[in-house]
Amino acid sequence: MNQFVQVLLFGLTLGGVYALMASGLTLVFGVMRIVNIAHAAFIIAAAYIAFYAFTIFHVDPMLSIFITMPVMFFIGMAVYWLFFARIKGTTRAGELTVLLTFALALIVEGILGYFFTNIYRSANPSYATQAIHFGPYFLSAGQFYATLLSIGLIALLWVFLKFSRPGYAIRATMQNTSAAQVVGVNVERISMIAFGLGMALAGASGSMLSFLFTFYPAQHWEWIAILLALIVLGGMGSLGGALAGAFILAIASTLVGHYFGPTWSPITFFLALFIVLLVRPQGLFGKKVEA
Amino acid sequence: MALIEIENVQVGYGSGPNILDGLSITIESGKTYCIIGPNGAGKSTLLRTICGLLHPRQGSVTFKGEVLNKLRTDEILRRGISFVPQDRSLFPDMTVKENLRMGGYILRGRKALEERIDEVLVMFPILKERHAQHAKTLSGGQQQMLAIGRALVLRPEVIMLDEPSLGLAPKIAQSIFDNIVLLKEYGMTVILVEQNARKGLEYADWGCVLDLGVNRFEGPAETILNDPRIQELYLGKQNRDRREKTA
Repeated sequence: MNQFVQVLLFGLTLGGVYALMASGLTLVFGVMRIVNIAHAAFIIAAAYIAFYAFTIFHVDPMLSIFITMPVMFFIGMAVYWLFFARIKGTTRAGELTVLLTFALALIVEGILGYFFTNIYRSANPSYATQAIHFGPYFLSAGQFYATLLSIGLIALLWVFLKFSRPGYAIRATMQNTSAAQVVGVNVERISMIAFGLGMALAGASGSMLSFLFTFYPAQHWEWIAILLALIVLGGMGSLGGALAGAFILAIASTLVGHYFGPTWSPITFFLALFIVLLVRPQGLFGKKVEA
Repeated sequence: MALIEIENVQVGYGSGPNILDGLSITIESGKTYCIIGPNGAGKSTLLRTICGLLHPRQGSVTFKGEVLNKLRTDEILRRGISFVPQDRSLFPDMTVKENLRMGGYILRGRKALEERIDEVLVMFPILKERHAQHAKTLSGGQQQMLAIGRALVLRPEVIMLDEPSLGLAPKIAQSIFDNIVLLKEYGMTVILVEQNARKGLEYADWGCVLDLGVNRFEGPAETILNDPRIQELYLGKQNRDRREKTA
């Protein structure tokens, strides 16, 4: 029993970070119907920013979100304006976005590989190797702080979406794009902001990833597979869904890793993906899409 | 004086053919217009063009002498033209109140917005009762009222309604038409697109028959209602006669 609780705690602290990574992906999908295959590549890019900010300038990786988030926000807006705004409304725009994000992922990976080589990296602030004890249980301090910060950021995102004017516009666009246009929402501009916001969340995720995991440029393929499984389980485009999907699968994969061996842990995500697509394709919190 | 002047307008979607193909209509202040015509005649396209969701390829749309052709929807809303699209296009996971707040999205200043929302809630007591409910939980008629209420938050001079009675039970549809009378009494200019052409014309001052993207006939609503040719072609006269005989 003790061991089960311990594993559960590991899963929980992993879940917050997964949720942060998935939230940007699901936001971008919700507003623009773009499945951003490059999301994880940008997370890795941000991890490099955080890593070098730490090794060169000794910026704490958690505090590096103040660098990675704004940088990725503006890169996101630029990417949207340069590429996505141009193919919007053209025939086959849907298929084109898939190709485009795939290409972006490859380009980002190539650039990272060129400048930073394929050596495995990881920032190691003091808390990365410390533990926090709760009675008989313990948590990795880094995981714990990262999860708290992640949940804090997601809460901020929620407050922004729920109460701010652009937040209203983003939610309106997610729920009914044509109605949003009718009430005067500049859907083009809101899409650009939402894309920037999604990328800012990727930036924050990169800061966490930089000290929680080792990373290298091509690793984003592993991450995007996991992230897609999370948001498909939760229901694509649903923020609450991304949160639920992240915690469920983080805990499930940790349990599988513990009881069946770490080799089996990654398969949890894909098994869950298969089951969800078979049983409830719209995900836990998603809406059925009418054909 | 003409409030909205539509002159020889050509509009289409993407690179597709012209849906409106040289259409001209003059809308005068304070009147109610009913636009009828077969499916694909361009009725909805006309409304979408006036409110800036589509832009004319040729011709011009002017409002009080100002050309609207290139303006965005929010700029047109600001000038006093509101649009209630087909299918009660609401924000399903927002509450009634939040939907109304979205109606005033282009307004700055929270207080003014809340005042206007209260005005609308007074007009539609049922919405006041349900203000905290999600829009998707409302009945069809209530959703339509919310869609109209959302457009009224801006206190428009012109309100355009695209098939407001679509898919509603006759009794509920009647209450929507009663509300249109109310809008007229408030001094608004109403442009109504109605599948139920006979009913729509009964509530209108002026009728326009669109066909293949042009304004085929227009005239006082009564004249259109009683014109045998139009009855034959667009109002389903034979069907009605048959129904009356069997009744």
